Amino acid sequence: MKRFSGSLKGVLRILLILLMAMGVGALIILLIGENPLEAYGALLRGAFNGKRNFGTTLANFTPLLLTSFAFAIASKAGAFNVGVEGEVFLGGIVAAWIGINVHAPAAVLIPLCFLGAALVGALWAFLPGALKAYWNVNEVCVTILMNYVAQFITSYLVSGPMSAGKANAQSDYVQVTLTQFMKPSSVNTGLFVAIVIAAVMIWMLSRTSFGYKVRMVGTNAAFAEYTGISPRRVLIQAMMVSGAIGGVAGCIEVLGVHGYFLNNFATGLGSNGMLAALIVKCDLRTVPIIALFLGVLKSGAMGMQQSTGVPKSIVDTITALFIIFATMETLFSFNRANRRQKRGNPDSKEVKK
Amino acid sequence: MLGRIFTPSLIYATIRSATPILYAALCASITQQANILNIGTEGIMLMGAFFGVAVSYLTGSWLLAVLVAMASGAAMAMIIAVGHIKYQADNCAIGMGVNLFAVAMTKFLLNSVLGKNGTFTDPNLAGIPKLHFGFLSGDGFLNTVLNDWSITEWFVIALVLLISFLFYKTAWGLRLRAVGRMQQAAQTAGINVNSMKYQAILIAGLIGGLAGAHLSLGYSKMFTESMTNGRGFMGVAAMYFGAANPLLTAVGCLVFGLADSVGARLQPFGVPSQVILLMPYVVTVTVLAISLIIDKKRRDARKSSLVSAGVK
Repeated sequence: MKRFSGSLKGVLRILLILLMAMGVGALIILLIGENPLEAYGALLRGAFNGKRNFGTTLANFTPLLLTSFAFAIASKAGAFNVGVEGEVFLGGIVAAWIGINVHAPAAVLIPLCFLGAALVGALWAFLPGALKAYWNVNEVCVTILMNYVAQFITSYLVSGPMSAGKANAQSDYVQVTLTQFMKPSSVNTGLFVAIVIAAVMIWMLSRTSFGYKVRMVGTNAAFAEYTGISPRRVLIQAMMVSGAIGGVAGCIEVLGVHGYFLNNFATGLGSNGMLAALIVKCDLRTVPIIALFLGVLKSGAMGMQQSTGVPKSIVDTITALFIIFATMETLFSFNRANRRQKRGNPDSKEVKK
Repeated sequence: MLGRIFTPSLIYATIRSATPILYAALCASITQQANILNIGTEGIMLMGAFFGVAVSYLTGSWLLAVLVAMASGAAMAMIIAVGHIKYQADNCAIGMGVNLFAVAMTKFLLNSVLGKNGTFTDPNLAGIPKLHFGFLSGDGFLNTVLNDWSITEWFVIALVLLISFLFYKTAWGLRLRAVGRMQQAAQTAGINVNSMKYQAILIAGLIGGLAGAHLSLGYSKMFTESMTNGRGFMGVAAMYFGAANPLLTAVGCLVFGLADSVGARLQPFGVPSQVILLMPYVVTVTVLAISLIIDKKRRDARKSSLVSAGVK
């Protein structure tokens, strides 16, 4: 019962924060002389009205589910992996390369694409993971700078060696694609792959010894070390799992949505996934709901921009506000005693170095 | 080839590329002294860059533009301050929130206030003036190296010295560092810890806003969506490199600036543009990693073998 009321409070808190973010968003919309209710209505229609819109929502949800899980897994081990976007880019380019250049039946080629993408994502995440684990190099800094590197590498490849020679920088078409089942939207069987991966991750984290180690290292690395777990190794492994999931997201986008590698296709996928995870403090069971919500916002924003005069960047502004409010731990905490204690007594807060 | 890259004009090119990063690094250093990692530097800077351009365009005054940019930076920093200090938000999380907010908000404002998408530039835009010393024009070398710096490029040198002085020679700096080193001890000594943190973040916000204004009005004369392009994070990296010491941090920024300007000169030799663009990021990550690895080695060596068993 206590647990139930606790999670109810959590849901209420998220809803209140959402309301607050949308309230500020409504104010901004009023300021530019538009009707916020009309705008939000257009947003919902844009996300759900008709097969095309709903399919687009699901298509947006697919990579967000993966990138949010990628972020959350690393975060469970105590690493703030902002580099998922770079892993999506690199996973995408590797999947495209394999899909174009390796000649094999689809049943072999598709898994090969996924494997290659996951592998390169894991390797890319290994570097910041190892730097953090062994020398305490700040991973936020390293991963975000590596995102630019990954983006420029792929951009170079698709405008140079792998270019299809078209006006847009893009690669040739891959030989195999994932089936799109709700045309004209681009939602594809990658959705199910993403859901399976998410389910496996939830299982892994709560039911396997590796998941136990990850959680222990994330909660208290020193304690983990005393019990004989190597926090460094676990941190690096969690980063690599995170990177692999990012790579898979890139593979699905290339094989399922575009059919080729499109320059800059992953821009924003990593950061939005991070948002989804951060809003619910990386609680894996609720992350999918937020990821779906962000998918709704993304496809709805397009519809809103087309049918009203409100630019779709307002939606990004609202989501950013959402996250800013959501990170404020003691905002709407409902636990007066706890809150008073925290606020009145800064000593109780552990001093981090 | 080397003769064409390493010319006297490379000196100014390096300083020019390093200045925006240096402002960002100072923004990060001040909060770091209070043990607050300023991940939001990038967002503070981007907001400043937008308000710099918008106010400069609407009023025609570069000075007013810079001041408003600094105020906007301070406003962004206050979001971090209130979230972190009052509502216990995680530094990295609220910092990234602020960064994403800045990207979205500037995009939105660019569209609704200035009526443009992507990039805004206008001939009426009042940039930060460049200083030209007539008496240096005669000498070819001094003319290339020292003339036509923008005011903010000179100012950053003063700011580095000023902040060094503030950190290491004033009571305020001592209190700030005490808060960063050990919060409880500082509190016991009668320092108002939260007030010090607010002050540090506020000043960081003002400098971060200035960083943005310099980027959009001094370094260039335009605003582009996400134009900071990781410079805020390069600043954070430089701050780590210099361990939040302004002078050492400035050295780090010059290294990044040098990488950037040498890269820019490789283009005529057939190096692909993307490779040139990614070079500063690779150099930053490498320098950051190497400096922290060396630092860790040094600290480990200093530790007594007797104590090290108990200290993590």
